[in-house]
Amino acid sequence: MDPVFLAELAINGALTGLLYSLFAIGLVLIYKASSVPNLAQGGLTMVGAYVVLALARDVGMPLWLAIPLAIAIMFGLGFGIERVALRRLAGRPVVMILMLTLGLDIFLRGTTLAVWGGTSRSMELGISYEPLFLGDILISRIHLVGSVVAVILLAAFLLFFRTRLGVKLRAIADDYMASWSVGISVERGVGLSWGLASVVAVSAGVIWGEIQGVDQALSLLLLKGLTVAVLGGLDSILGAVVAGIILGVVENVGADFLDPLVGGGSRELIVAAVLILTIMIRPHGLFGRHDIERV
Amino acid sequence: MSMEDQTVAEPILSMNSVEVLYDNVLLAIKGVSIEVPKGKMVALLGSNGAGKSTTLKAISGLLKAERGHISRGEIRFGGTVITEALAQKRVEMGICHVIEGRRVFEHLTPDENLIAAAPLGMSRAALNAEKDRIYNYFPRLAERRNSFAGYLSGGEQQMLAIGRALVTQPDLLMLDEPSLGLAPFLVAEIFDMIKKINREEGLSVLLVEQNALAALEIVSDGYLIENGRVVMHDTAEALKSNSDIQDFYLGGKEGSNFHNVKHYSRRKRWLS
Repeated sequence: MDPVFLAELAINGALTGLLYSLFAIGLVLIYKASSVPNLAQGGLTMVGAYVVLALARDVGMPLWLAIPLAIAIMFGLGFGIERVALRRLAGRPVVMILMLTLGLDIFLRGTTLAVWGGTSRSMELGISYEPLFLGDILISRIHLVGSVVAVILLAAFLLFFRTRLGVKLRAIADDYMASWSVGISVERGVGLSWGLASVVAVSAGVIWGEIQGVDQALSLLLLKGLTVAVLGGLDSILGAVVAGIILGVVENVGADFLDPLVGGGSRELIVAAVLILTIMIRPHGLFGRHDIERV
Repeated sequence: MSMEDQTVAEPILSMNSVEVLYDNVLLAIKGVSIEVPKGKMVALLGSNGAGKSTTLKAISGLLKAERGHISRGEIRFGGTVITEALAQKRVEMGICHVIEGRRVFEHLTPDENLIAAAPLGMSRAALNAEKDRIYNYFPRLAERRNSFAGYLSGGEQQMLAIGRALVTQPDLLMLDEPSLGLAPFLVAEIFDMIKKINREEGLSVLLVEQNALAALEIVSDGYLIENGRVVMHDTAEALKSNSDIQDFYLGGKEGSNFHNVKHYSRRKRWLS
């Protein structure tokens, strides 16, 4: 195979993968604080995109204003979800919280369908679709922008978890009871993690909305996002980014080899295989924290 | 009776006929009244399931996390009623509870464990001074300050749990079974340190222990809890020489055999 073509597949795969990471970072933030994969992250991402559109199209704000405002609104929404729904579940089995996030996802999807209908709307960020060449390699500009956003978020969260507030959040992830015993407000910490995940959802929603249009299909990003988060280790932000790149490359290059053999559609198969194999072979993922056992 | 027991200090904590229900049905303590005088160390003794831990959780507000609540009675801390206050508020007021089983933040280093417990309002300089103070009390921790707390030994974890509590600047420190699962020399080391902190900083301490022998060596007063009730309250000296306490909790005096003790204890519970 032509090495340039292979490189192009790999690089564009990596960029797409970073966009999966952009989504998966939100999952990781909530997993860290609640030990639950947030099944509503897809719904949140879609709502984030719709809120940006509503502010930009229906209210008529410029995008540079609509996006930060949407971020603020979504932070409030995430924080509110803890207050209204999650608080009374503290101390209950994790599976209850998991089911709650599933219900939340269905609720968010139903609401967006009722309010904005099923027709796909375009984001129109104003990013040029002119091809961008890196040597001989063709790169999509929007994917590049999205990857940069993902890397910025990665850096920001890595720094955040080193701050005193971030250390408190990590303490909450470790032990709720011990956190309460030293005066850490577990409730507010979980609310903060939901707020931050919702902020991530807005950025993922804007980028993915630009790529595939804003409609119900945005919430289906959850499947690839979950695969990336699981491969990365569910509670590792760095893991989500590395796993995103890996999945993107494997998916893009692998599909190019497999598609001619099976007649197309092998992308989904590759993603499913990665998810299943990760759970079978390395359940705590590439960078996941595993329980410390002393002997 | 020693000199310091003769002065009556005002209580920093008073608990008045407190009753605790779990899940609205299970009555865990049935009208417990205890007092901790300011600057003193008091022990809560009793066997497994007697209600000692529940008593501490009622005071620290951690009951809520286990679906328990105070159904009757009143708790006062420094004169303020705290019966309904949130756990977080009580820590701010100066109550810190070192919960049973150490429960350090395993995936954080000892340094980060201390940072996690520090109030966000504490200045960086004050936090560093605080860390130095803790490492000064427990030099073993300083050596391990950058490895995961989950990998520390049991004794080191207990020291860290106490240090983490001290960072919250408590006036009342409550310790639940700090000796659990530790070698006797470590128990002695930790108890010495608690005594030292109490002496040097005037910190009031409420200590829950099954290891009554070690506890009575360092406290001034003790309460004996059985079946959710206080059945005895006296000075440490008096408790140590009390024959019932000797039989049930200090390993028996000479001449009494296990069978007699068991029988007697059962009869006593029926009568109480």
